[in-house]
Amino acid sequence: MAENKISRSQVVAVLSIMVLLCLTGNNNFVPVAEAIWLTIPSSGTKCVSEEIQNNVVVLADYHVIDDANLQHPSAIAARVTSPYGSNLHHNENVTVGQFAFTTSEAGNYMACFWLNSNQQQSAGTTLSLDWRIGITAKDWESVAKKEKIEGVELDLKRLGYVVQAIHDNLVYLKSREADMREVSELTNSRVAWFSIMSIGICIVVSALQLWHLTLYFQKKKLI
Amino acid sequence: MERRQRPRCTSTYMIIALLVSLIGRISSLSVTVNDIECVYEYVIYEDDTVSGNFVVVDHDIFWGSDHPGIDLTVTSPAGNVVHTLKGTSGDKFEFKAPRSGMYKFCFHNPHSTPETVSFHIHVGHIPNEHNLAKDEHLDPINVKIAELREALESVTAEQKYLKARDVRHRHTNESTRKRLLGYTIGEYVLLAVASTLQVVYIRRLFSKSVAYNRV
Repeated sequence: MAENKISRSQVVAVLSIMVLLCLTGNNNFVPVAEAIWLTIPSSGTKCVSEEIQNNVVVLADYHVIDDANLQHPSAIAARVTSPYGSNLHHNENVTVGQFAFTTSEAGNYMACFWLNSNQQQSAGTTLSLDWRIGITAKDWESVAKKEKIEGVELDLKRLGYVVQAIHDNLVYLKSREADMREVSELTNSRVAWFSIMSIGICIVVSALQLWHLTLYFQKKKLI
Repeated sequence: MERRQRPRCTSTYMIIALLVSLIGRISSLSVTVNDIECVYEYVIYEDDTVSGNFVVVDHDIFWGSDHPGIDLTVTSPAGNVVHTLKGTSGDKFEFKAPRSGMYKFCFHNPHSTPETVSFHIHVGHIPNEHNLAKDEHLDPINVKIAELREALESVTAEQKYLKARDVRHRHTNESTRKRLLGYTIGEYVLLAVASTLQVVYIRRLFSKSVAYNRV
């Protein structure tokens, strides 16, 4: 079975190859694989989440890095859920995995990892997760091949896309701020209204009390 | 989205994955901090600038805002602490990595209630003379493009920080709105009930059965 086991020496070898590659003349763009490492506890799940807008590409790769047992790293299970609870990716008893999807709704997307129950170890393990969304998930190799550009031109094209993404982010932040300003102003006007209404209710209730008690005492011939 | 073909060999796949990686991760992950949560990030070159930010998003203020905040501790691969931030509800950080290796970023929550922390870490590298072999030369345009890339990355990181702060502000706003509605309706009901009870009590005081003995 083609189970991809990544040992520490292989990771080091790949990283050193990458360092060598990036030192050659043309490719000035330092390829930094910014995968973060998480510790998976021996019991319980480790979850990471992110608030993602609608229609954004999400691409992630994860693999287990086991210090104690390099040849046979522990198997983990992974699950990715959308904000409304539907299961986007589910994998059991693996050491390497990847998932990709395009978001169809805006909200909190969560990826959870836990150790498989048939493991006999008591210590947790480490997982390397490379999570990219939006422009970072773009496949530059295919763009370079399709448009037949390379080197400095490709780098500048990438930077152009990044600037566009920055602009889109700003527009998004602006619209969120507008939404929040509306909610704040609504709350503000409601505070004013409810306070005036509470003073009004106070006065009305006490007037009712006085009126009722006056009637009662007059009926009892005490006044 | 079309997935690209995955070659069989893992290392080839990893090389391709590394080569097509862009400026670096530009997303803010959120993690729930119960007591201590640690995230590791690999720094390839010495003297790289590690920058990032974190915001405590799910700050559940109940009675007062005297929450001690979240502490961040950054430990270098040698074991000594490189950077600390104590008792904040969100801040930016930046430091120069003294050596390459695996850096540990730990969030510590001194309170018993779990908090959700949204963080973003970026390792920025600008090629310089030290990293080259003897017969290599440094193309100045590559350095300039790297600097430009880092500047754009800092703008993006700032945007991530603003977005996380906006999410936190939104939570506070929603909570204020709900509290306003709930407490106002509760106040009205309580007022009506209290005044009815007052009337009932006064009527009882003046009722016939006790009138002869008391009032």
